[in-house]
Amino acid sequence: MRIEKCYFCSKSVYPGHGSAFVRNDAKVFRFCTSKCHKNFKMKRNPRKVRWTKAFRKAAGKEMTIDSTIEFEKRRNVPVRYDRELVATTIKAMKRVAEIKQRREHAFWKNRMLASKEKLRTHRKKKLEAAKKASVKLVEPMALDSPEKERIRKKIRVPAKSRSALIPGEGRSMGMEID
Amino acid sequence: MGRLRRSRTHHAIRDVHRAARTRARTKDLDQIQLIDLDPKNRAKLEAQPLDFDKPGLAQHYCVECAKYFETDAALHSHWKSKVHKRRCKQLEVPAYTIEESERAAGLGREGKRTSTTVTSVPTPVKQDV
Repeated sequence: MRIEKCYFCSKSVYPGHGSAFVRNDAKVFRFCTSKCHKNFKMKRNPRKVRWTKAFRKAAGKEMTIDSTIEFEKRRNVPVRYDRELVATTIKAMKRVAEIKQRREHAFWKNRMLASKEKLRTHRKKKLEAAKKASVKLVEPMALDSPEKERIRKKIRVPAKSRSALIPGEGRSMGMEID
Repeated sequence: MGRLRRSRTHHAIRDVHRAARTRARTKDLDQIQLIDLDPKNRAKLEAQPLDFDKPGLAQHYCVECAKYFETDAALHSHWKSKVHKRRCKQLEVPAYTIEESERAAGLGREGKRTSTTVTSVPTPVKQDV
């Protein structure tokens, strides 16, 4: 039983799962899900679809050169069953997976360090730009403009000229208790 | 019971489905890039014998787009078109293949490694001689 790889997303395709398409030049395309098959039918390039392994490898988001990747291979020569060999192989697989996980974490950390710095500089730049823009916005709202003063003069009314005709002006109802 | 199905889900999907059928499948980019663009194959494709089933008797063929045209004028105007230029741009980068999908999954080939070791072994022997 062979575990194949999906053509589109490079996920493992286990026996009894997924589907295959055979092109008229006898090339077999395996797909893990109908999603991958549909994307293939749309003739999309997996290198440009962000959720695929091909994209992540091409964009430098995952390790491409590493000795831990070298272990998994398509082997065309069958090996006779040997209990001890299986035991040691499984032991080795566990150890390799452990090392691989650690290396991947280190790679990720390194990548994030670089991207964080980039983000910081970008934020700084943005903040400065915003500051400049906000200063410019405040400027037209100057307080002592000549127009405002002129209007104020017109409105000003002397306090003595309160008329008795208008209710509530000067002699309001019951509020003046002397 | 009211209406159960959502409305406005049709989006002219009939034509999309028809274009995606296996029988209407057009050549893939890797087929064109690795086989058709080879000068030998290209010359063969551009000078095809008369075929009554193909458009324009298979006399006006665009290799990059894998498409037959009715007349020479149509082919020439196609070469100037955006569709053709876009296709040429796509063909500039190496096409995605099954091998690349396996490499992305971290699956190497055993045969390839042995072949590299075989080629590396004879060179020191030559130096000794």
